[in-house]
Amino acid sequence: MSSLAMRPCGDFRTSYRQDNTIFETQTIRWFTILAIAAACFAPLVFDAYYLTLFIQVSYLGIAALGLNILVGFTGQISLGHGAFFGFGAFASAWLNTSFNIPVVFCIPLAGFLTMAVGMMFGMPAARIKGLYLAIATLAAQFIMEDFFARADWFSGGSAGSLAEPISLFGFAFDTDESFYYVALFALVFMFIWGCNLMRSRDGRAFVAVRDHYLSAEIMGVKLNKYRLLSFGISSFYSGIGGALYAHYLGYVSAEGFTIFMSIQFLAMIIIGGLGSIKGTMLGVIFMVLLPEAMESGVGLLKETDIGNSPMLVDGLAYIKEMAIGLVIILFLIFEPEGLAHRWNQIKNYWKCYPFTY
Amino acid sequence: MKLSKLTLATLMSIGALSAAAQAEDKVFVGHLADMSGPTAFVGKEYANGIRDALAYINKNGGIKGTGLEFETIDYAYKVPQAIASYKKWKTRKKMVAMQGWGTADTEALISFVSKDKIPVFSASYSGHLTDPQGKNPHTKKPAPYNFFYGASYSDSCRALAQWAAKDWKTKGGQGQPKFTHIGANHPFPNAPKKACAEYAKELGFDVQPPVVISMKPGDFKAQCLSLKSSGTNYGYIGNLGGSVMSLVKSCNTVGTDVQFMSNIWGGDRMIFEATGEGIKNYIFPTMTPFWDSQASGMELVKAISKMSDANGDKLRPHHYIRGICSTYYMKEAMEWAKDNGGITGANVKKGMYARKDWVPVGLEGVCLPATWTNEDHRGIAEVNIYKGNYNKGDVSIEQVDTVSLERRPEWLGY
Repeated sequence: MSSLAMRPCGDFRTSYRQDNTIFETQTIRWFTILAIAAACFAPLVFDAYYLTLFIQVSYLGIAALGLNILVGFTGQISLGHGAFFGFGAFASAWLNTSFNIPVVFCIPLAGFLTMAVGMMFGMPAARIKGLYLAIATLAAQFIMEDFFARADWFSGGSAGSLAEPISLFGFAFDTDESFYYVALFALVFMFIWGCNLMRSRDGRAFVAVRDHYLSAEIMGVKLNKYRLLSFGISSFYSGIGGALYAHYLGYVSAEGFTIFMSIQFLAMIIIGGLGSIKGTMLGVIFMVLLPEAMESGVGLLKETDIGNSPMLVDGLAYIKEMAIGLVIILFLIFEPEGLAHRWNQIKNYWKCYPFTY
Repeated sequence: MKLSKLTLATLMSIGALSAAAQAEDKVFVGHLADMSGPTAFVGKEYANGIRDALAYINKNGGIKGTGLEFETIDYAYKVPQAIASYKKWKTRKKMVAMQGWGTADTEALISFVSKDKIPVFSASYSGHLTDPQGKNPHTKKPAPYNFFYGASYSDSCRALAQWAAKDWKTKGGQGQPKFTHIGANHPFPNAPKKACAEYAKELGFDVQPPVVISMKPGDFKAQCLSLKSSGTNYGYIGNLGGSVMSLVKSCNTVGTDVQFMSNIWGGDRMIFEATGEGIKNYIFPTMTPFWDSQASGMELVKAISKMSDANGDKLRPHHYIRGICSTYYMKEAMEWAKDNGGITGANVKKGMYARKDWVPVGLEGVCLPATWTNEDHRGIAEVNIYKGNYNKGDVSIEQVDTVSLERRPEWLGY
C-alpha cells in the first residue's frame, strides 16, 4: 500500500504492516515531507502574527494530542487537562530557575514530572470510569489550580513564575521567528511519536480498552496498567505543551489554567475527531483560527465609520463570542465525528468519483 | 510653456503626495478589553472610558496633529487571544503603545513588550509591575514598559489598613483589632495579600488566616461564620462585582460585625445598586472623583463621555474615569515624544518620566498628580478612601479620608 502512489479503490491490505503504515501512499508521504520542508521557510514569508498563530497551534496541539490519546484512543475522560498543561509550564520554569537546568532539558523533564502527577491523579481511573472519572479529574483541576496559587516555592504563587527563553549553544530562541522552529520541531516530533505510539502494541491495547474493556481483559490486556499509562502519556504531552507555552511567553501566571482551558482542549478534540491524530491537528487549527477569523470579520465592519461606534463594537463583541459558540454547537450536531471524518468523506468522494456510492 | 506645465504637474504631484503623507500621519494604539469575559462587570466600563478618550483625542487634533488609529479587541480574558492581537498590532499596525486590561494578559505580555519597546498601560495594579529594574527581591520580572494609573493593589490595601487603624482608635476600640483578607485564591485577589498582611501587622493588627470566597457569586454563609467566629473587625475584600454582593448579603444573614473594605474594583455605584439594602458603611478606595463631582476636570470627562452617549444621560462609574486618566497620561507622554524625537514606544516611555507630580491638561481635580521614574513605576502613592451606603433606593457616597503612602524602597514591586 505505502509503495503505491494513489489509494486503490478498495481495500487490498494483506498484512498488519500494510494496515499500520503511517502514510497510506507514497504521494501522502511526499506531500507531508514537502509540507514540513516548506514550513521551514515560513518565517521568511509570514509576519509575527501568523507565526504566533502557528506557535499557538503547536503548543496547544501537542497538549490536545495528549488528551486525544486519553479520551479518543483509550476511552477515558479528563476534565483536568488544562491544569496539567499549567503544571508542565510551571514545572519547566521551576526546574530552570531553581536548579539551573538548561531549558532544553527542562522541557522533557517537565513532561515527565507532569506525567508523574497525571498518573497520580489517574489512579482512580483504575477503579472508576465515565462520569465518575470525569468528576475525579475535575477535582484534579481544582486541586492543582489551588496548588498553583499557594505553592510559592513552585509557581511563585500570585506573582507568577519567570520562564527563561530556550537557548542552545548561546543562541536564544526569544523571537517569534526563532521560536517558530522550536515549535515546529516539537510539533513534528511529538506527532510522529503519537502516530507511532498508536501503531505499537501499547497503542493497540489502548484502543482495545476503549472498544470493549471486558474483551480486552479476556485477551490479556491489563486494564489498570493501560488506563494508568494512558493518563501518564496524556499528561506527558500536556506537560510538554505547557512547557513550550511557558518558555514562549517567558512568564507563567496561575490565572490561565482554569477549567475553561480544559474544556477548550475537549472541544478541540471533539471538533477535530476523537481517536484521530490528524483530527487533533485539524481541531486545534480550527479552534485557534476561529476567534481570529471572527475577529477579522468583525474587524471589517469596524473599518467603516459607523462600525467603530462603541454601541456597535460592544454588540459585535457579543456577536463574535456567540458565533464561536454557535459554530461549535453546529459542529456537534452536523459533524459529530469531527473534521477528520469530513476529510475522509471528501477523500472517499473523490476516490469514487463520478460514482458517489 | 511646456516646461512650466511639467513643473506645475510635478509640483502638484509632490503636493498631493505630501498631503497624502500628511494624511497618513497616524500612530496606532491597541486596546485590549474584557467586555464579555469574567471581568466584564467592570471591564466594560473601563474600556468605554478608554475608547471614548481615544476617540475624543482623535476628534480634537490627535497628538499635536498626529491622528490616533486605534482598535478595541474584546479578548474575553483569554490569554492566547490577547497575545495574538498584540502580535497582529505589532507587526501589521506598527503599534506604539497599548491600553491593556487584566493581570493574566498583562503578565503574559511583559517580556514581549519590553523586547518590542511598546509601553502598556494596563488596569492590572499588581505591585510587581511597579518595579521596572527588578530591584526588589520580591519582583519576579522587571517590567520596564508597564505602566498603570493608580496605586497598586498592595498600596491601596496598605492605605485601607491605615484608615482602619485610625478608625479603630476613633471608635475607641480596645486591644488589637483583627484584620482578615477575603477573596478567591487567584492571582488578582491574592496580589496584595502578603504585602498588606505584613503592613497590617506593623500597624498593630492581629492578622487572621485569609478567608477564601470564590470570584463568582454564591452562598458565602460558611465563610461569614468563620469571619464571625474569628472575631474579625476589618475585612479586606479582594474580589469584585457579584461575589462582593453575595458576601455582604450572606454576612448580613449570619449577623457578622465586620467593617468591609474592598479593592478598587470592588466598590462602585453599581455594587450598591445591585446589593440594595444591607450594604452599610462599605469602604473602598478610588483614584478619581465621582461623576457628580464639581472638580474642574469633570467638564472634559463629560465631554469625552458624550462620544458614546450623545445625550449625556449616563452616569459613569469611577472605573470609566480611571480609563480616561490612563489614556490621557499616555496622550501627554506621546505629545512629549513627538517633540523629542518622534512618537515611538521608547520615546513614549521617556515621556512618562519627563514630568513630576503631573496631571494631564484639562483633567485637573480628576486625575491625581502622578510621577513615574526610570526606577519607580509607582505613579500614585495617594489613595482616596470613600464610604458608601444604600438607603431606600438612594446611594450615598462620601469621602472619608485621603492616605498618602510613603514610597518605601522595600515596597517597590511588592
